[in-house]
Amino acid sequence: MDISILGGPILGIIPLGDIVLYFTPFNLFMFAAALAFTALIAISSTESQVEAEFGTLKNREVKVDKAEFKLRRFLAIVCGLATAGAMVTGDLFDFTLFVTLIGIVNIGIVAAVKEIDVLDAAFQYGLIAMIGTLPLFGGAALILASTGTISLLQIVQIPYTTSLMLFGSILFFLGVAGETGVAPFFATKAEMFRTPGSPFLLIIHLSSLLIIVRTIEILLIINKPF
Amino acid sequence: MNLMANILLNVTIAFLVGSILLGFQRKVMARIQMRPGPPIIQHLLHTFKFFLKESAFPKTAAMPFYIAITAMLCVIWVAAVIVGPVTEGSLLLFFAIYAIHKIVEHNAGSSSGSPYGKLSCVRAVFSAAAEVPLFAVLIIIYLKTGTMILSSIVTYQNQHGALLLSIPLAALMFFVLILSKSPYSPFSITKGKDIVSGYETEHLRGYLMFSESISWYMLLWIFLTVFIGGLNPVGYLIGMVIITAFVAFINALTPILNPNHSVMTQVTLAFIGIVGSVILLLY
Amino acid sequence: MDQLKAVSWFVFIISVASILYALIINPPYWIVYAISIVFIPLTILSFGLLSMAKGKKEEEEDKRREPFIGY
Repeated sequence: MDISILGGPILGIIPLGDIVLYFTPFNLFMFAAALAFTALIAISSTESQVEAEFGTLKNREVKVDKAEFKLRRFLAIVCGLATAGAMVTGDLFDFTLFVTLIGIVNIGIVAAVKEIDVLDAAFQYGLIAMIGTLPLFGGAALILASTGTISLLQIVQIPYTTSLMLFGSILFFLGVAGETGVAPFFATKAEMFRTPGSPFLLIIHLSSLLIIVRTIEILLIINKPF
Repeated sequence: MNLMANILLNVTIAFLVGSILLGFQRKVMARIQMRPGPPIIQHLLHTFKFFLKESAFPKTAAMPFYIAITAMLCVIWVAAVIVGPVTEGSLLLFFAIYAIHKIVEHNAGSSSGSPYGKLSCVRAVFSAAAEVPLFAVLIIIYLKTGTMILSSIVTYQNQHGALLLSIPLAALMFFVLILSKSPYSPFSITKGKDIVSGYETEHLRGYLMFSESISWYMLLWIFLTVFIGGLNPVGYLIGMVIITAFVAFINALTPILNPNHSVMTQVTLAFIGIVGSVILLLY
Repeated sequence: MDQLKAVSWFVFIISVASILYALIINPPYWIVYAISIVFIPLTILSFGLLSMAKGKKEEEEDKRREPFIGY
């Protein structure tokens, strides 16, 4: 199989020892998007949420205080950079490390919020993210065991798919789903977005969606249907 | 032709055709509801009109993110025009563009500090859980054709016949996705009238409408290219008008669903589509 | 001329100039893609910011302070 039938022709590779970064138009677009959003977050101030007050006709503004703002901005930038890294890495183990970093940082972004509902949601998401780590690394390890390499550019050369590779990639997908909190786990994660502090919340959503898109590419690289 | 001229031409066509199709959709909906309805160019006129109207930037907004997020919507759909009609690139890239569209929808809502926008933002996260599986239709196309590149998919269809006939459930899933992106649709929970049009309320409206016209054109373009393939410009136009009219019929006759019902309907359709298509592919 | 207007004029001129550059000089394809993805939206955004109407000075503070209930 040729990798260019998935994301377009390879524009270039950056070999960093074992870890090879590769750029197709698909990877490059997502990399640039992640970096652009991270840069926007770094320079933006936060929104202040307007809420109705009970018993009066007045509105209440919920602001993010300065210490919390600095902490959350730092974590959001780390998350954005990890997302950008995960978009271009050509190394499966590297990708899993980025995904776990995103999982940890996502909890951190909302952990400083002083709202019970949001903290509850973050706690439940954190549990799923921790549990998701096991299938994530287990799946990557099984793929390594069955193919002998974790370099995607090497795996793509292998002309067949064994059942162990398929099993490994199912585990891998479960791990990513838990770690980024998508589809079945999204209900708990959506509650996290009710907190004020808009641009930082962006990166939680951005990282999970982009990681899922990239995971689909990786799964199609590992499992060749024909 | 000069590449830049080609891109500019395609963006302009996407904007004009998209606006007129959205106007046409309103007209069809009005006639079904036995109203005379606005003229077909109304959406286009509104876009120009909103460029001349005043915009206030709320004190509660996250600046400059508040302005940049609207620009981001335009950026991704101009990128879509380049990937689509200009270069016929990778379908996977559209998946990425669509994912970022959901992110923009989510953050355009939350960046202003408005309570309506905030609700729209939370609903965008909910609906992403349902619409991203719908976009997984790409995998089915890949399993069928063995490629993600649009030009190769068109070549495949020239040899084997339209994909609409061989993987109909995948086409249905993509149609539901198009339906959810149309105005007044039963699935448009992020733009619901109960939350005062959600994230669209307080942004630069003309600019948003410009991007939405391009996005409507591009979604229809992808549907026609991927499932019918190899059309000439007139064929594209006829196909787009037919799909828009069909969508208008559905939108005029259905109420907007409650967010939970909307998401569950989409998830059910996605599940039926994916499982059904895989079974159809195996046997 | 306030700050927003000055920035908009600046961005508008830069983006129109770069689009014209790509139209006339015909640079390598990836530069054209970069220019069109970044500068076509910026042209329209800055045009929109320039062409939008300006309200009265004394009303502006009210509009900014209570944007979600006033209208």
